[in-house]
Amino acid sequence: METESGYDPDLWRSLSEMGVVGLVVDEAQGGSGVGPVELEAVMEEVGAALLCSPLLASGVVAAELLKALGDKGVSERLLPEIAAGTSIATAVLTGDSGCWTEEGVTITGEIQDGGWQLSGDGSYVLHGQNADVLLVVANTDEGLAAFVAASSAEGVSIEALPTFDHTLRLAGISFDGVEADRIEASGSVWEAVRRAMDLALVALAGEQAGGAQKVLDFTVEYAKTRIQFGRQIGSFQAIKHMAANLLLETESAISAARHAASRLAQDSENRAEAVSLAAFACADAFVKTAADGIQMHGGIAFTWEHPAHLYLKRARADAQLFGTPAYHRERYLQELGA
Amino acid sequence: MSSDNQSSNDVLREEVRQWLAENWRPEIARTLSQEQYGWETSETRKAWLANVVESRWAVPRWPQQWYGRDLSDEQGKIVEREFAAVRAPGAGQDRINLWANTLLAGGSQALKEKLLAPLLKSEVNMCLLYSEPGAGSDLAGIRTRADRQGDHYVINGQKVWTSGAAVADYGMLIARTDWDVPKHRGISFFFCPMKQPGIEVRPLRQITDESHFNEVFITDVIVPVENLLGELNTGWQVLNMALAYERSSMGESARGPRSGVAESRNEEPLVALAREARVLAEPKLRQDIAQAISYKRLNALNSARAKADLEQGTSSSIMSLGKLAMSRILHEEARVRTEILGAQSLFEGEHYPRAEDANFLTLNAYFTSIGGGTDQIQRNIIGERVLGLPKEPEVDKTVPFRDVRTS
Repeated sequence: METESGYDPDLWRSLSEMGVVGLVVDEAQGGSGVGPVELEAVMEEVGAALLCSPLLASGVVAAELLKALGDKGVSERLLPEIAAGTSIATAVLTGDSGCWTEEGVTITGEIQDGGWQLSGDGSYVLHGQNADVLLVVANTDEGLAAFVAASSAEGVSIEALPTFDHTLRLAGISFDGVEADRIEASGSVWEAVRRAMDLALVALAGEQAGGAQKVLDFTVEYAKTRIQFGRQIGSFQAIKHMAANLLLETESAISAARHAASRLAQDSENRAEAVSLAAFACADAFVKTAADGIQMHGGIAFTWEHPAHLYLKRARADAQLFGTPAYHRERYLQELGA
Repeated sequence: MSSDNQSSNDVLREEVRQWLAENWRPEIARTLSQEQYGWETSETRKAWLANVVESRWAVPRWPQQWYGRDLSDEQGKIVEREFAAVRAPGAGQDRINLWANTLLAGGSQALKEKLLAPLLKSEVNMCLLYSEPGAGSDLAGIRTRADRQGDHYVINGQKVWTSGAAVADYGMLIARTDWDVPKHRGISFFFCPMKQPGIEVRPLRQITDESHFNEVFITDVIVPVENLLGELNTGWQVLNMALAYERSSMGESARGPRSGVAESRNEEPLVALAREARVLAEPKLRQDIAQAISYKRLNALNSARAKADLEQGTSSSIMSLGKLAMSRILHEEARVRTEILGAQSLFEGEHYPRAEDANFLTLNAYFTSIGGGTDQIQRNIIGERVLGLPKEPEVDKTVPFRDVRTS
């Protein structure tokens, strides 16, 4: 967390060898070839442990975006390296607005001297400072298109952004006439982005549910051991009732995350409804659990030496990535036909 | 599962099917499906139930001595599934008949002989005489007394929240039989005959202006000693068993709006209401509507997960959350309905069915958040039994009941 890269390369290597990084990459391309359900289960553990890694950036968003774009040549070149963890990829989808929507795309692509060149400023790029491969969604004369560029290419400048959650790495990336290869999408580019973001949201939902569960566990444990007024503080209804409410939040988050994962795995018609429900329910549940968890601990959790603050910071960060809870409530209602 | 088991299950299934084919005649099915549900049981229903009981399908898990077949739980489910498949009532009472199960577990030989069959056949009406004005959340604080006089007990006191009291033949009653021991240890459990002069039933007018419950005033009411369930002064244990049966038979059947105004079958009721009120475009309301719907949806997902856990044999902590979740759902839905209607919610009466719905739901939500254990008691239970948090010290736990402070 305190290092510049924000992750432990040795741990990253082990995760890659275990098949975690290439969880959703096909076996033919060196991945584990499993789906959203398994990813969600892994992410519950990731959330509990507050893992610091480019897993979401590279193994989830970038990998799924490549799969969804469906350019065989590019996929066969990039996915094996992503799955093996030897290459870290990330997607440039939005700019300073932080709107993960089609209108939020800030990069433009033009043909110059017979090749594509990218220009513009991207932001909120997950692990942008650690990436080798940049997948860039850009506006072109022909509409939205996807490109792949090397982070070391001329004209790319990467600036680490100061994140409130120190376990998170975000970068701003500027493109100044950067040469890039166009990815030949088999369908709509934004539809592919949508698919990648839906998988990312399910992964985040799992992380949030697992994080909330962990906070509830250590908070309840603390309430059983901390003595004040000659009693365990958990015997006070003021604490007990907060814990009961958090159990409802946590269990609901787990249900929502797993449900969304299974809907995504079945590629069912109402997958968007399930994903958006999980997105806001899990985001809100993790923030509430982490916040109330601090309150229930009292003074000790106001210090840096207790990990509770790390969970609140992660919870607040997770709640903003790929759309706010309010955005997802709105999307949920639209999916319900309103 | 062994193939022996499998084949005996197949034989059983075939036997139930055969019996239903011969007995569940279309005219019975038609009559029963058109019945209004109420406290009184129709003759057709009684005749059908009597047939089910005498053919030993009502309580197949029970011992043969008492109308049963000594079947396993799994086999019992086979019987229930076959009955459910043709929508025939009466099976599965060994799981859900609160009265009969309590009597079987705690009743005297004489009382079982007298009442088990009539209970299974719905020939006798029952009510619950547990809560008192001074003993709600703290049920063990009851002050209704039972005093032994010869071969019977004499009951005096007052009970409340009793539905069906006016038509009941018997009430399951808890009363204090020892005042010199701590509160949980001086209570006994009775089947109290209701058709006698000392019983006075007064309907309670609820905040919804409905009357589903009664107060019951009990003056020198006579209960034969054979109507005692369990040993004297062990009523608290009998009660907890009865409450467990009651919970297991309670579905999540919270009431919705009562206006009966047709709502779109395809659309969420809140969405339909907002559309009709022309406020569906308001961002704040959209957020609230989405949130309210999500509470309902999350509860359904929780229940589905709990059920799956149960089927895999792992115990689930989610079950205990259902009631708390339901009370949040109902209060929030009522709040959002009111917000959608705005000033229209000022009205009542048949010309304002939407306002009726919102206002009724607002009040009736307390039925769930207070009835059957308040949300606060429910949070204690979840905190203590699910999360393992320590109990609050109880100042009256070891004090003789006559010395316990009251309001």
